[in-house]
Amino acid sequence: MRKDGIEFSFTWIFAMIVGMTILFLAIYAATRITQTQETVIDASTAKEIGILLSPLETGFESAKTTSLILPKETRIYNKCNNNGNFGRQVISLSQKSFNKWTDTDIDVGFSNKYIFSDGFVEGKKFYIFSKPFEFPFKVSDVIYVTSSDKTYCFDDAPEDIRDELSSLGQENIYLENCPEESIKVCFSGSCDVYVDYSSKYVEKENEKMYFSGDSMMYAAIFSEPEIYECQLKRLMQREVQLIEIYNGKAEIVSAKGCNSDVKNELSILSGMISDIKGSENINTAVIGTVDDIKNKNEISRCRLW
Amino acid sequence: MVMKNKFGQLKIQQMAFMLMAITLFFALVGMFFLTIQVSKIRESASVLEEKNALLLVTRLANSPEFSCGNSFGITAISCVDSDKIMALKNKAEDYNGFWGTSNIEIRKIYPATNPVECTSSNYPNCNIIKINEEEIESEYSNFVSLCRKEIANGQTYNKCELAKLMAGYNG
Repeated sequence: MRKDGIEFSFTWIFAMIVGMTILFLAIYAATRITQTQETVIDASTAKEIGILLSPLETGFESAKTTSLILPKETRIYNKCNNNGNFGRQVISLSQKSFNKWTDTDIDVGFSNKYIFSDGFVEGKKFYIFSKPFEFPFKVSDVIYVTSSDKTYCFDDAPEDIRDELSSLGQENIYLENCPEESIKVCFSGSCDVYVDYSSKYVEKENEKMYFSGDSMMYAAIFSEPEIYECQLKRLMQREVQLIEIYNGKAEIVSAKGCNSDVKNELSILSGMISDIKGSENINTAVIGTVDDIKNKNEISRCRLW
Repeated sequence: MVMKNKFGQLKIQQMAFMLMAITLFFALVGMFFLTIQVSKIRESASVLEEKNALLLVTRLANSPEFSCGNSFGITAISCVDSDKIMALKNKAEDYNGFWGTSNIEIRKIYPATNPVECTSSNYPNCNIIKINEEEIESEYSNFVSLCRKEIANGQTYNKCELAKLMAGYNG
């Protein structure tokens, strides 16, 4: 009897199945390797960004600025937590690859960095500007990250703010002739970001963020309320640790006959700061104590800082 | 008929062995590739740690836990307050991992004396302040002035000495 059609031997069917399996595995492995490579690049770039922020630590300078250019369109995710003694600054990165954002499942953490920005900042060029936060001693340098794609308009800012911003020369900050699409930061009237300089609060996204000092005012302007509150709490956590160090130093120098007059006040401030749950708790009592300690330390025979 | 069956069995056996060999080959290639990748990642992690130590050491003296600030009458850069560092040393556990380096050490280099590690009992008659007790494999250092308050004839004065601030990393 004659059979029509193609005849496949067992060997052929077997070889085809095996060939297809190998091909499938090879494609799967290649995809996984590419994804892993992307993750590795994202994680190492995030770590590198964090490390590159170290030179932004200020000495005598009142502020410092620099820019960061990445080869690809990038999203820098800014996350923060208050775990442990200092909380943690977490950065993760997502880069555009074949018109798709890479997954960001690897977080890179730093305990000694305080970055203020939106939840994520997107672009190829980023401006990084840092300023010391003093309360009443220097607690840390705070870092503000903005994208060159976003512009800020400070056309009615007070003179000293204008002077500082103009000396920074950051290209996405305008003091006059602001572009139409820029984020309006105003010190009177209503706009995207409202700064009440006398009552010391910034209103953004219908939320009030209270500040003390210009460094925290910029922090509130450039960051998302949730990040601002978390980073502020982290700064207060470090302040408590620094107070303990200054108390330790006070004991060491008093043994050398050099008494400091602020030891008791520092302990009071530490208690006040531990009670701070949010920026609204930075009230006149806390600021009054801070100012008092600052003045006492300045006239003290043995300054602690 | 029996011969044909035996021949078929032999072919299947051949194929099975071949498959096993191919699978083993790909598994070995995969493992080799994975080892290279892991060692590359390890290498880049240690390069990043090295970079962190290098950049950190240049600015560490300005961080509030180290800097002299205005406590010695003048504001100086690369000035480390040794009284503050001793207070920090007592809190070293709280600061574990804070700067992302394996250890931070300050070594007085002038005047040169025998190396004595500082403790709360022998301070300031010592010349090495270790923030952590961890051994440093490699390090980056920066010259700083190490200042403290001293007392002589009932008078307090500022004493500054030349020191090296070292940030260690493992890699």
